[in-house]
Amino acid sequence: MKRVGLVLLVLLFGVTLFACQSEDQFDLDEKTSIVVGLEAAYAPFNWATPTQNEFTVSITGQAGFYADGYDVVMAQRIADALGLNLVIKAYGWDGLIPALNAGEIDLIIAGMSPTAERALTVNFSEEYYRSEQVMVVRVDGSYADATSITDFSGAKVVAQAGTLQDDLIDQITGVIHQETLNSYSDLVNALAYGTSDAFVAELPVATSIVQTNSQFMIIQFGEGLGFEVSDEDIMVSVAMRLEDLNLLDAVNEALSGITNLERQQIMQDALLRQPQE
Amino acid sequence: MMMILTSIPPKDEFFKTIIYLLDTYGSFFIRGVLITLLLSVVGTVGGFILSLFLTIIRNQDIDYKRDSWFEIAIKKLGIGFTKVYITVFRGTPMIVQAMIFYYGIAPLRLSFWNPLVAGLVVVTLNTTAYIAEVIRSGINGIDKGQMEAARSLGFSKRQSMFKVIFPQAIKNSLPAIGNEFIVNLKDTAVLSVIGVFDLFKATQSATSSNYRPVEGFFIAAVIYLILTFITSKLVDHLEHKKVKVVNVNA
Repeated sequence: MKRVGLVLLVLLFGVTLFACQSEDQFDLDEKTSIVVGLEAAYAPFNWATPTQNEFTVSITGQAGFYADGYDVVMAQRIADALGLNLVIKAYGWDGLIPALNAGEIDLIIAGMSPTAERALTVNFSEEYYRSEQVMVVRVDGSYADATSITDFSGAKVVAQAGTLQDDLIDQITGVIHQETLNSYSDLVNALAYGTSDAFVAELPVATSIVQTNSQFMIIQFGEGLGFEVSDEDIMVSVAMRLEDLNLLDAVNEALSGITNLERQQIMQDALLRQPQE
Repeated sequence: MMMILTSIPPKDEFFKTIIYLLDTYGSFFIRGVLITLLLSVVGTVGGFILSLFLTIIRNQDIDYKRDSWFEIAIKKLGIGFTKVYITVFRGTPMIVQAMIFYYGIAPLRLSFWNPLVAGLVVVTLNTTAYIAEVIRSGINGIDKGQMEAARSLGFSKRQSMFKVIFPQAIKNSLPAIGNEFIVNLKDTAVLSVIGVFDLFKATQSATSSNYRPVEGFFIAAVIYLILTFITSKLVDHLEHKKVKVVNVNA
């Protein structure tokens, strides 16, 4: 019996070693394409559409599905700068970092903030968008006149699971911090059907949601009245594997070629390409 | 620059929104249904075939007088494996199995490994465990007299198993296997977690830019209902037929 245990242990070690075998750096000269992962469910950063246009890229493995949005345009710009073909794959939010580390994708361009916690498992580029954190509430609700986060004392507030927005809720004193939900569609539901009084979102996402839901409105906060956030929290960055240092340099260089003004324009256009109510 | 300005009906226009979604994202729903059907059919048929192997392995008789020690060891190992297999796959949620299989195998960089393949593997392995249990209870439900009669007619133990017991047990299990198919139609929705574009994920995509999940998933619910309703009618039909056949035989 002991011997069987030993054999199993050796086998397990072998498998683990094999699985952990560090791949070489991303080979910019050898590779012909770069695989970008996103949710295709986080408008205006990324969403899915059945219609092709000059901005869309088809989602690999899902014929007839095209990804569109700010992230897709940025991904295309980065791929162009690197001289690589852009391949897009869609994963659930929680599946993105596992997919990256499993080598299924090379970059995550999915409106992801470079939090310190995530930075332990992946590398982040310089920011490719900077945003502000706002609240989305019902127009006819009791929080429509809120101006400060302290006004949300006693309110039922919710956010997407595993996001910065969820952590921010605790800054509101006396808040009812609700169990997180899996996607922004769920947040919209929770608000529309009164399960929640408000949810936390970054401005472009909130704009896109309000655009398609006229019963909702955005609460923006003035200086000192909103959430206390660090720089890393309001930035979104491209994520890549820790070992791909050369890719990090290349992506940063590509991003430095896109001016702030251009970025605002790309976001504006992405918002306009979405369905409006 | 050309702008694609699309407009969706206001939030309170439930049926208009449904028509809008069907009209704009019809191709998503169709593709989602096809993938869901593929997962369910492959899972159930593949699970059925694999479960037959499991059943054969599990029903081996160990003859301590005649079998060599090697045969006994192999048989014991086989029986032990089937027990562990069924316990593990019935005792863990399919969503957990999907995560372990997909992300566990992905680092091996197999060229054919993608979410759909992983989904097909997981649903097949999962269904195998359930159908193996169904067939086992089917075998238990066969009267002992059947085996005794076969043996007294000169069939060997193996022949009695394969020619008398198994065919009846499988025939009795068919409705339950049909139910497994219905279960698969619904439960494969969890595979969207690894990026399989089944009906659930397709619906999520269809509402990804317009934030109309209730209307979108209402469509999905109706589609799921249609699929399961048709299947359960087919299973009923099968069951009815089975009774007839048994009556004729009796």
